[in-house]
Parts: sequence; structure tokens; C-alpha cells
Amino acid sequence: MTLDLRSVEKVYDMNSVGVHALRGVSFGIAQNEYVAIMGPSGSGKSTLMNIIGCLDVPTAGTYLLDGADVGALGEDQLAEIRNEKIGFVFQTFNLLPRSDVFHNVELPLIYAGMRPAMRRKRAEEAIARVGLADRMNHRPNELSGGQRQRVAIARALVNNPSILLADEPTGNLDSKTGAEIIEVFDDLHSEGNTIILVTHEDDIASHAHREIRLFDGLIASDTIQSEAA
Amino acid sequence: MSRVHASFEAFRIALAALRANKARGVLTTLGIIIGIVAVVTTMTAANGLANNFRESVSVLGTDVLYVSRTPWIMQGRFFQFRNRPNLELKDSEKLARQLGSGAIVNPTDDTRRPVKYLSEVIENATVIGTTDKHMLVSSAVPEYGRFLTAYDVRLKRPVCVLGTTMREQLFGDVDPINKKIKVGRAEFRVIGVMEKQGSAGFFGGPDFDSQIFIPVTNFVKEFGGRNRSFAFAVKAPPGADIGDFEYEVVGEMRKIRRLTPDEDDNFAINKMDSLLDAFNNVMGVVLMIGMAVTGISLFVGGVGVMNIMFVSVTERTHEIGIRKAIGAKRRAILQQFLLESSAICLAGGAIGVALSFGVAAAINKLVLPASVSPPIVFIALTVSVLVGVISGFIPAWRASRLNPIDALHYE
Repeated sequence: MTLDLRSVEKVYDMNSVGVHALRGVSFGIAQNEYVAIMGPSGSGKSTLMNIIGCLDVPTAGTYLLDGADVGALGEDQLAEIRNEKIGFVFQTFNLLPRSDVFHNVELPLIYAGMRPAMRRKRAEEAIARVGLADRMNHRPNELSGGQRQRVAIARALVNNPSILLADEPTGNLDSKTGAEIIEVFDDLHSEGNTIILVTHEDDIASHAHREIRLFDGLIASDTIQSEAA
Repeated sequence: MSRVHASFEAFRIALAALRANKARGVLTTLGIIIGIVAVVTTMTAANGLANNFRESVSVLGTDVLYVSRTPWIMQGRFFQFRNRPNLELKDSEKLARQLGSGAIVNPTDDTRRPVKYLSEVIENATVIGTTDKHMLVSSAVPEYGRFLTAYDVRLKRPVCVLGTTMREQLFGDVDPINKKIKVGRAEFRVIGVMEKQGSAGFFGGPDFDSQIFIPVTNFVKEFGGRNRSFAFAVKAPPGADIGDFEYEVVGEMRKIRRLTPDEDDNFAINKMDSLLDAFNNVMGVVLMIGMAVTGISLFVGGVGVMNIMFVSVTERTHEIGIRKAIGAKRRAILQQFLLESSAICLAGGAIGVALSFGVAAAINKLVLPASVSPPIVFIALTVSVLVGVISGFIPAWRASRLNPIDALHYE
């Protein structure tokens, strides 16, 4: 298993009232799976994504990532895991506005401590992979929404993560551009990447091979879909 | 390895942040700029003063002792000394005889009198009664004409030698040699003008260039010798150890003063060192005041920078979230903001140093020779970086502790 959650619970302390965002969620995801996590707002989707992405740790239960227990780690160790094993793609792109495409993509490698020559090679490959080789020195505000999301994908890919974790990656895009971005994910999956899409759109989810539906902090359904369209 | 690259990234971010907020940065650093100007100016002026002082005091010579009734630096012990008997002119002859050949003893005293040439008058000029040996115990040399001779002294000739400033004031472009001037009520003939020697007048010390020298014998005749205590400049024989020589002088003086072994010295031996010590004490106080002013302005400047760094952290909370999400550790964020505040302060420091060169040039022109030296520049820049690190620490620490999820969702 690349990723293994066992009775994961998350309780937020809101004005000293415990709010159960997750009430015991267990599932595993193997390498090269293509999973959609769905559910209405308030279902615990975002909390689950934060935990899978190692931005947050469970209140109870265990989360194993590549066999290592993440729940016991400190903030810096979590940062290291995010750097090495997780590739984030956000709905709002979350690029550094003052940095050009190259620097945005290179950034995770800098924090990984990679040498400049190696960094350049890897970043250029990742940028070429999403078809933006000719936009290398443009800033995010000089790019279209679809291009920005491609930059984000390149940044997520650049350090060969165990999981590509996308949170509503098409939410800020028109349907045509959204479809193009989903195509990129499809391609990345066929190249062997493990992909988790968090979405509330059925036609986006239909690209995944497995669909986990959350409701009220619990798994409502976990279905393997027949070969995607 | 990774630290080095992360540092480089932090440096790059700091520069970018500075570029993005130029006006704000400059305004923020105003306090730092003022502080650094204060540091550099204080240190430069202090250096200038010290050099100036040392230069002018060096006229006195390190192998010369000055025997006098009271020490130069009395430090409030005036009453302890006031009953001491005077040093008389004949005592200097005794001392010279007893010290033997090789040692030189030059008796001097000074008084304030108006000095007058035609319609030019200098009130309160320092009139020095001395002998031909003055040239041997100091580095003073006449620029033209001649100095007093042994005959001038023995024959009580009414002749005088002028300091260079005094010559300028009295004579302007006129050749002073053989001109008659009035010192008090007596008439003296100018026989020479001394070379420029520089002034310790800045500290209330002697201004060697505004003095007028006359034979000590004549001095006594015109201005009285009864209630006068002379000072004896005593120069050691060539090659003598100055410490041993001082001991010898003390011994001979005790004989002249007829002191019994259980009596304390009723005279004082002054050395250039004691002047230097006194000067250093004064300088220390001046420096401390300067540093206090500097400290306050740097503190105010530091608070300004801290304030702007809090703004910067808040403005970039979202960016911090992004960086953390993709793997920046706390140290990387801390470093980023520390470097930013240091860079702001360093920029302010550099501006301050640049301005200080102007201030130093003005001091140099108006007050005394002073120039900004490389070590001072180095200290100033180091101090400004230090202020940056200190004032940036709390904001940077706060940034590094931000929760990644909250930071990421901060708009």
C-alpha cells in the first residue's frame, strides 16, 4: 500500500466544542491507483485531504504513508514528507505571484536541497512535461488559468512524489480548460503515477478508477469503477 | 548542502521583497540611517580628536619630564597642593647642576598679557618666559629668524619669538622681524617666528601657535618673580632609561626642597602619559554619550523595522502557506524573513555610511581633521545587520510557526 488509513478520526476544537470532521475512516490506496474522493461540503473531504497531504495529523487512528506512520511526526518532519512524497495541485493554483514559471517549479527542489544544475534539469523536464517549455520565464499573471494549473502540476510532479493530490483542480477553470487539465491527470496516471482527486463534480470523478464518497465524516461508499471513459 | 541552497533562496526572496517595496523600505530604515550616521560620525570625530590631540601633544616629547608644584591633572585635590612652596628659578639651576651634564633643565612660566603691534591687539595672549633650552626639550623650531639664545637670557634682552598664529594676527603680510611690539607695558623686539605646531587648544590644552616666547629673566623683570612657581622641563641624557631618570630627578628635587625621608614629595612630576590618560578619560565619556545617542536611534530604527516585518509577514501569510505546503521547513521560513530584515537594515546602514562621508567631510572642513576609516565602515555595517537580525527575529519566528493550512487559506 502506498497509503493506508486505519480508523482515522479528526476532531477540531471550536470554542471548546469538539467538532468531529472525520469519525473513523479506513481505506488503502495502492500504487498507480486513480482515486476520486467525493462528498458534499462539510463531509470531511478537506480534512481528509489535509491529512493525506500531511498538512495535518489525525486526532486518532493511524495513517501510514509508504509504510511510515505519519501521525507521530513533528512539523518539520511533515514538511520533509510533503516535500518528498506529496505533490499538491490546488483549486486556486497557489503559485508564487512574483516568481516566474521556472522558479515556481524549481521551489520544491530548493527546499529538498538539490544542487542547482540538477534542479534546472528536473524543473525544465517537468515544465516541458505539461507543455509550457516556451513559458519558462513568464510570471503567473502572464498566463491563462489553464496554464497556471499546468505550472502547478509541473511543480507537483517535479520531485517524483508518491502521491499526486489534487484538490478541485478544475474548480477555477472553464469546462474546456478543465477537461484539458483532467487529460493531463489521465496521462500522468497512465505513466504510473498515483493520483487522488478531491472533487464534487461527477464527470471529473468519472475519470478516476475508484470513487470514495464521504458523508458526515464517514465513508459512505467505496466503489471500483469499470474502466473509465 | 541543503542549508546553503535554502539560504540562497532566502537571500533571493529578501532581495525581491526589497525591490517590491522600495519606498516603504527606505522610510522604514530612516531610524537605522540616523543611527548609523550617529555611529560613524561619533567614531570618526572621536578618532579625529584623538589623532589631533596626540599630534599636538607629541610636541612635548616622551623623554621629557615636567617638574612643577602641582600635577597637571589635579582631579579636585587642589587644597592638598596649595600650601606647597613655589619652584623658584634658582631651583632649576641647582637641579641642572646636580643632574650633571647630559640632562637638560628648562625653567618656564607663563602669564596672560595683551600683546600689541601698532593698532593690532591680542588680549590675553599667552606669554611664556623660557630659555634657549626650550628648543632642546621640545620639537619646536623657528620657521624664520632665530630662537632665544643663552645671551638673550643672561642679558635680559627685550626680544621675543612669536607663534605662527600670533604672527598672522598681529602682522598679516608684514615681515615681523625686528618690529617692536608691546607685551603688557614692556616693549619687545621680534627676532623669530616658530613653525606651525598644531593645537591641543580644542581641549583647553595649550595652543602652541598662539604663544609668544620671551627670555625668562626678562619675564621675571617685567611681570614679577616673587609669587611665581616655575615649571622645569627636564630632558633625560641620551640613552638614559626614563624610569631611572625620573627616580633620579625625584631624588635631586627632594634634596633641593630639603625633604626628610618621612615627608611626602611637595612637587609633582608630570609626563605626557598623564595628559594622554586624562584625554582618554574625557574621550571615553564623549564616546559613551555618542554611543547612547546612537543606541537610542538604532533602537527606534529597530522597532520600525520590526513593525514593517510584522506587516510583511502578514501580507505574505498565503505565500508562507504555499512554501510550507511544498516542503519549506520552519528554519527556511525563519531564515527568509531574517534575511529580509537584515537586508533592509544593511541597506539603511549603507545609506547611513554614505551620508556619514558627507558629514565627516563637513567636520573635516569646519572643525578638525577627520575621515571615515574602513574599520568604522565595517563596524557600522555589522551593527546594522545585527539590528536587522534582532528586530526581525520575532516576526520571522512568528512566520515560521504559522500553521500551513491556516496560512494557505489566508486571503
